Amino acid sequence: MDTILLVEDDKNQILLYEQELAIEGYKVVTACNGIEAIEHARNYNPDLIIMDINMPRMDGIESMCRILSEQRNIPIIINTAYSNYQNNFMTWSADAYIIKSSDLKELKDKIKELLIKKKRKGDDKTV
Amino acid sequence: MLPDIIKFRLEDIINNISDVEIAGLALLDHNLNILWANRTLSSVLKLNYDPVGRSCRDVFNCECKDKNNCTTLKVLSSGNKQHSEIQVNTDKDIRKYLQNTTIPIKDEKGSITHLLKITTDITLKEEKIHQYDLLTNLVVLMQGTLQIDRLLHLILTCVTAGTGLGFNRARLFLLDSGRHTVYGKMAVGPSDITEANKIWNEITNKYEKLEDLIKASENNYRYDSPLHMITRLMAYSLDDENEVIVSCIRKKKVIVERNAFNNPNINKNFVNMIGATEFVCVPLIVRDKVLGVICADNIYSKKPITDEMVMLLSTFANHAALAIENAEAYKSLEKKIVQLKEAQERLVRSEKLAVVGNMASYIAHEIRNPLVTIGGFARSIVREVKDNKAIENSAKIIIDEVNRLEKILAIVMDFSRVAKPVKVKSQVNDILDNTISLMEAYFKNLKIDLVKKYDVMMPDIVIDQDQIRQVFLNMLKNAAESMPNGGKLIIETTSEDEYIKINITDTGEGMDEDTVENIFTPFYTRKKEGTGIGLAVSQKIVDDHEGFIKVKSELNLGTTFSIFLPIQNCMC
Repeated sequence: MDTILLVEDDKNQILLYEQELAIEGYKVVTACNGIEAIEHARNYNPDLIIMDINMPRMDGIESMCRILSEQRNIPIIINTAYSNYQNNFMTWSADAYIIKSSDLKELKDKIKELLIKKKRKGDDKTV
Repeated sequence: MLPDIIKFRLEDIINNISDVEIAGLALLDHNLNILWANRTLSSVLKLNYDPVGRSCRDVFNCECKDKNNCTTLKVLSSGNKQHSEIQVNTDKDIRKYLQNTTIPIKDEKGSITHLLKITTDITLKEEKIHQYDLLTNLVVLMQGTLQIDRLLHLILTCVTAGTGLGFNRARLFLLDSGRHTVYGKMAVGPSDITEANKIWNEITNKYEKLEDLIKASENNYRYDSPLHMITRLMAYSLDDENEVIVSCIRKKKVIVERNAFNNPNINKNFVNMIGATEFVCVPLIVRDKVLGVICADNIYSKKPITDEMVMLLSTFANHAALAIENAEAYKSLEKKIVQLKEAQERLVRSEKLAVVGNMASYIAHEIRNPLVTIGGFARSIVREVKDNKAIENSAKIIIDEVNRLEKILAIVMDFSRVAKPVKVKSQVNDILDNTISLMEAYFKNLKIDLVKKYDVMMPDIVIDQDQIRQVFLNMLKNAAESMPNGGKLIIETTSEDEYIKINITDTGEGMDEDTVENIFTPFYTRKKEGTGIGLAVSQKIVDDHEGFIKVKSELNLGTTFSIFLPIQNCMC
């Protein structure tokens, strides 16, 4: 079972994502801010991270950069209500940029796609 | 007391001063008959007979007609010296101004025995006063005129008016330093002798004062008069030093040409254009800078151009130059004020947009987050509820509404970040056609008649086609929506000076003044379904293209949106 680290400060959204991702068959670990996300990334070694940007204590962009400096191979999806962060080149190091929507189809499709890609890469290495 | 020697030798004294040239002298008896007169009197009064033995009344031909005002009679009754001024028209119809002083000569008992009348010619002095008054009058008139074309016309009218400087015709040449040329700008005066006579008769009968004449001629200036048109054809390079006008400018001096037809040093082409052999060219100089030249002549009256007239014209020209410079300064000031006002309006608008953009972004984020949760859970309800149609339907309604809100948010977010235009050379008529083709079915449905009036000679301009198409789309959609019961939609393209203009006119419900004022304010809308962003986005796009939009609207008659886009973009 793939583990997804969900970094999100909105409690109701956490409930929604947990429920929806569980249905898709993922194990979900949640972090409420950027600092918690770094710790959880170390402790849980997730297969993929869904990262919000606007959060207390440390924002998603800084958190993402720190995580990537330690674990380069974790795919990260930025999932935010803002579209204008796309202009910030720091966000370009993420594997995908999704503008939050009540329809989670785009997010779910992207997760699937990135996990398959990651597995293929892993398989290539073991071979 | 007068010494006896003078009293008794009056005759000797009179005889001795009889040759004095400065004044006309006449000795009158008690009955006002002239007993004696010197030669100067005859020349001052231009008499062709001997005045001695005639009555004062006949010779002076003036005051005694009205006995109450006759100064000579007053001297007799009062016993005191009297002064008077009279105007005399000589046989050559030259007006003269004379000053008469009448002195009583009394005997030992104090009774008046004779009168001595001293007559001096004060025409020169009177003319100077008249000229001074005239100049003051003209300067006041010029200073009151700041609109440049009106002022130039006023200057030439002053030069030609009989009550002004009295030349027959006047032409104005202006210096264009940028092009290194001097060119004919304007001309005032009759085109031939018949017209001249007609005008002079009309003027003398109709207008007593110069102001009235100027006011009347201002509205009647004929830009198609042969004189004006010929003058407009005249232009000379400043390198052409042999040209009279150029020489007048370069030397900064008045040129009086008495016999141009026979002067080998004058370009015959210029003389033929002017058509007069005697003319005067006066430079318009202000602070050592030449603005142009006034060229005047008396082609019809053939009156010689005297030194006095030249003097008066050049004094007048100095004032005229100052007035022109003032008007030019005022014009450029006015232009600067308009530019400043426009810049200020643009700033306010962009400030408004920036604030709206930030607000939109903040609100979009704040609303989008709860919408994700609401819509997301509504979707999970639809998925989970299998046998309760009512709950499923309700959840579906929630999803629909959330979708609608999310779409609006996407538009608002887009508005807050209209991208910088990517400009390419384009033909606006084609973009319009392309936009219209997208909407044809829509227009047909609303029973809207489309009328296209394209200027086929429209120049290409450099624009972001997608953005401009978006502007046309917004405008056409607005126009169509204002005609729910059908109507006429006229799309017109023209090019005007530095801009191309696209007029989109509808015969719809129109707008009141208040609405027109707010129509470009973001989120201002009168429509049920509208977001109030279409026109604000359109304006921002046109602004980014350094163009502008004008709106004309009348309630129940319709609206015209005029979009102006700069042509010089082509050069980029």
